[in-house]
Amino acid sequence: MKLQSTKGYSIINNWLAAKGHHPFLFQEQTWQEIIDYKSGLVNAPTGCGKTFSVFLGGVINFINQHPDDYKTKTKSGLQLIWITPLRALAKDIGRAMEEVIMELGMNWRVGIRNGDTTISDRQKQKRQMPEVLIITPESLHLLLAQKNYPEVFASLKILAVDEWHELLGSKRGVQVELAISRIIGANKITNQNNINQPISIWGISATIGNLEQAKDVLLASINNNKPKGKIIKAVINKNIKIESIIPDEIEKYPWAGHLGLKLVEKVIPIINNNKTTLIFINTRGMTERWYQAILNVAPELSGAIALHHGSVEQDLRLWVEDNLHTGKLKAVVCTASLDLGVDFRPVDTVIQVGSPKGVARFLQRAGRSGHQPDATSKIYFLPTHSLELVEAAALKDAISQTFIESREPMLLCFDVLIQYLCTIAVSDGFVPSEIFTEIKNTWCFSAITEEEWQQLLFFLTQGGAALQQYDEYKKIEVINGRYHITNRSIAMRHRMHIGTIVSDAMLKVKFLSGGYIGVIEEWFISRLQPGDVFTLAGRNLEYVMIKDMTALVKKSNSKKSIVPSWMGGRMPLSANLGIMLRKTFDKAFEMNSRVLTKKEKLEQPELSVLKPLFDLQESLSHIPKENELLIEHIETKDGFHLFVYPFEGRLVHEAMAAILAHRISLITPITFSFAMNDYGFELLSDQPIPVDDSNVYELFSAENLLADIQRSVNSVEMAKRKFRDIAVIGGLIFQGAPGEYVKTKHLQNSASLLFNVFNEYDSGNILLRQAYQEVLDQQMEEVRLRNMLQRIQNGNIVIKYPGQLTPFCFPLKVDSLRENLSSEKLEDRIKKMQSQLE
Amino acid sequence: MFIIYIQFTFAAMTALIPHKILNNTFLLSAERCIFWEEKKILIVSDLHLGKTGHFRKSGIAIPQAVFKEDMQCFVTQLQTFKPDQLIIIGDMFHSESNKEHDFFLKWRKDFASLPIHLVKGNHDILQERWYSLAEITIHKCELAIDNFIFVHDINDCTITNDCYVFSGHIHPSITVKGLAKQALRFPCFHFSKQHAVLPAFSKFTGTHGIEPKRGDSVYALVKQTIVAL
Repeated sequence: MKLQSTKGYSIINNWLAAKGHHPFLFQEQTWQEIIDYKSGLVNAPTGCGKTFSVFLGGVINFINQHPDDYKTKTKSGLQLIWITPLRALAKDIGRAMEEVIMELGMNWRVGIRNGDTTISDRQKQKRQMPEVLIITPESLHLLLAQKNYPEVFASLKILAVDEWHELLGSKRGVQVELAISRIIGANKITNQNNINQPISIWGISATIGNLEQAKDVLLASINNNKPKGKIIKAVINKNIKIESIIPDEIEKYPWAGHLGLKLVEKVIPIINNNKTTLIFINTRGMTERWYQAILNVAPELSGAIALHHGSVEQDLRLWVEDNLHTGKLKAVVCTASLDLGVDFRPVDTVIQVGSPKGVARFLQRAGRSGHQPDATSKIYFLPTHSLELVEAAALKDAISQTFIESREPMLLCFDVLIQYLCTIAVSDGFVPSEIFTEIKNTWCFSAITEEEWQQLLFFLTQGGAALQQYDEYKKIEVINGRYHITNRSIAMRHRMHIGTIVSDAMLKVKFLSGGYIGVIEEWFISRLQPGDVFTLAGRNLEYVMIKDMTALVKKSNSKKSIVPSWMGGRMPLSANLGIMLRKTFDKAFEMNSRVLTKKEKLEQPELSVLKPLFDLQESLSHIPKENELLIEHIETKDGFHLFVYPFEGRLVHEAMAAILAHRISLITPITFSFAMNDYGFELLSDQPIPVDDSNVYELFSAENLLADIQRSVNSVEMAKRKFRDIAVIGGLIFQGAPGEYVKTKHLQNSASLLFNVFNEYDSGNILLRQAYQEVLDQQMEEVRLRNMLQRIQNGNIVIKYPGQLTPFCFPLKVDSLRENLSSEKLEDRIKKMQSQLE
Repeated sequence: MFIIYIQFTFAAMTALIPHKILNNTFLLSAERCIFWEEKKILIVSDLHLGKTGHFRKSGIAIPQAVFKEDMQCFVTQLQTFKPDQLIIIGDMFHSESNKEHDFFLKWRKDFASLPIHLVKGNHDILQERWYSLAEITIHKCELAIDNFIFVHDINDCTITNDCYVFSGHIHPSITVKGLAKQALRFPCFHFSKQHAVLPAFSKFTGTHGIEPKRGDSVYALVKQTIVAL
């Protein structure tokens, strides 16, 4: 059917025209696909009508099917499911859709379903589903846990997944894959007379490196895992202006974390000259410091700047977001907490402090400014040490080449599968052979073996090991070939724990006099003594006591305070940025060898300003070219150092350092300590380290990699950490809210104890094996490690023996010092080191 | 992050260590129990029998082997020491009755002549008649023999003068620190001047780190050996 000749199209087109708008080309293309009952992926940035591309397609289709009564028709049943990763987005999207429906005079209703939806609204939805349901992946699974759920999906036409790039690559993405497989499967039975009008599945994604794969993952269930379906790209050229904030004086010996705050004065004019500025900082702890630092140099901004991160009390966060909308705030210091979500139109400038660690993330943050389709996004890069300026140059090149990271979809997440099987066992039960066919068709579980499947079913019905005496294991029961959970309390506990986001144990922080401030990790509070002062949400607070899982505090006027460091959030440098970084050093090396023209200096401000640093590096040691690996042997009074610079991110470096240490220890008995950052790693020993031209290629060989990983890295300890999430998702641990479910007290359990028990008594357990696999894939980034070794084998290894510390190794050296010293002492000691070297 | 490869070296490694209190000898076993030589009494705490069963009944698939091994170990200790009496300082059973308790009853018949004293712990919530069926003598709060008191939670102890108290409840463990921030945690016996805490007998239990004071004796349980620290 030709789109333009349909009634729906002309109605929508007229409606748009009345408002002075025209459909974008990509929107029309999507509508055409939708009325042909096809599936696909829309690739468009936020803020340019991506919602309407899919939503209006559904409306057009509905009008075409009900040309005479599309306005009056009510209770049409669920037409469109809109999956969104963020609760916060649901309201805005819902409002936009309702506006369209109202203006078209239609009788569709839009419902929102997430953790915030009230019980009465849920009941209403149960009686009569709205035509459009905006839902999170978790709530969608909760729908699957309701009796007779297939009826809900019988009338469904379109299933849209918004921000698919965010979900892909996470266990929530796997949840979406599984939900789609079941909805499609159920619909085949309930909707047999409509085989010509199958459900369309549409993803909406920002640009990522593996868009084609992203589409295939999403559509796997309807395509039987074969690539099919179109990617529709919105050709909207978004201008991005990137500017580095260049320090007045370049330190030839850079070290992380201290330059940034010195540049705070350069931030003030940027805030003043723009409407609203978002200042992105990588860690929650540093946002607290930045907030204070800005107020210290510009007290007049008090009241016009705010703080936003994951540990700030939700009401306060909402207040910040509201004031961003209305443009009342001049600046907000934030973490990744503002990466996603609704658009704040007044924001016209973004400042990124420190490495964004990846191209996609930098682009995403830049895109938070200038949200209108034709506006320019403006982002400043503020380095936290001078070498990071190279990263700025690399980012610029990467963006001009759209060299954006891929999101690797997760494979064989048995914990999510176990949860899912329990979910559908709670509602209508399932027949294993049917479900096996369905999940085999998903991307995540396409490689699952019959044996693994049997093991899973066995785990769920028999509790693992072979049937034993005196066992009363009970979870899923088999009734006439259907697998059911009949026990009410097991079913209830399961419903409460659907989801794949596992949080740390958190305590609420509350004033003695009342009033919540935020939440904080339990382990941080447990290290505090009453009377200690810490900073949260920009306030200095004195710790008083813990009561009822709440940390009670009072206001403090103390000047000195501890800034909490939050676990997690330490992302490694992405592979793409690593590649660009190595290329940029190549360019720096070339530019360093000659006098630069004025034009070049203007085009490459970062690299030309770093010339003194590069000169020093080159004269002491070497600037590695793209195909080179630099190794520096340096002897100091601390001992013998070996510095290696692969530029592959800290996780790969951590693994490589351990492997290298292991391989060297095979040559000679030797003990090491390690340090690593995103650029390289250090081995330190009290004796000379036997790495030279004769053995270095062997030491960096990819042969026996797996065996060497197992021998050198404490994978048991790492797997134990991974196991916690897996055990929670897989239903072995219940993390109830504090004070809740007193009844389950005898079921409480710690992840590390469980891990030990499984390791000892059931080492073949499928969830335990998954923990070890996740360590390899995520913690070690084994694929990336292997690629790195391959690259090193095909390139040159340059070994240098500088007489003193070099600019490259200095940040690493400082990181290793940092471990044992408080920050003031550290600062003094580094200054001394710098003056000795210069 | 710094990681240094180091090896722990311990002064002594054996399976049994004698510990003298008020002229009595207590043999500390690496299998998490104490044998009181003069009285021929075996003392254990926090068995948490039926814990795996309780979890499994609720749909949490803890390997059942944990329970079996705890029971086997328990029997081995009884056969080794051939005690005249058994004292359990609380938390003998983890929760409500399940089939693992039936297994215990069957086992009880094999040791029918052994008197068992249970000082009740917070987990011991079974009905009175169950204990009498199993021929277990219940002590609601504490049990005193000569100058020794047995109580589950030291905070519930009412007798204080000139006595020595044995308790359980907290599942004590000790962190042994090596060079370069390496640290390992082991279950332990903790003896202070007037009070001793036993480790949990069951291997399927979490632990609570203790901070011993000067003059205390701590014995760590490292795999199959017991180590004086």
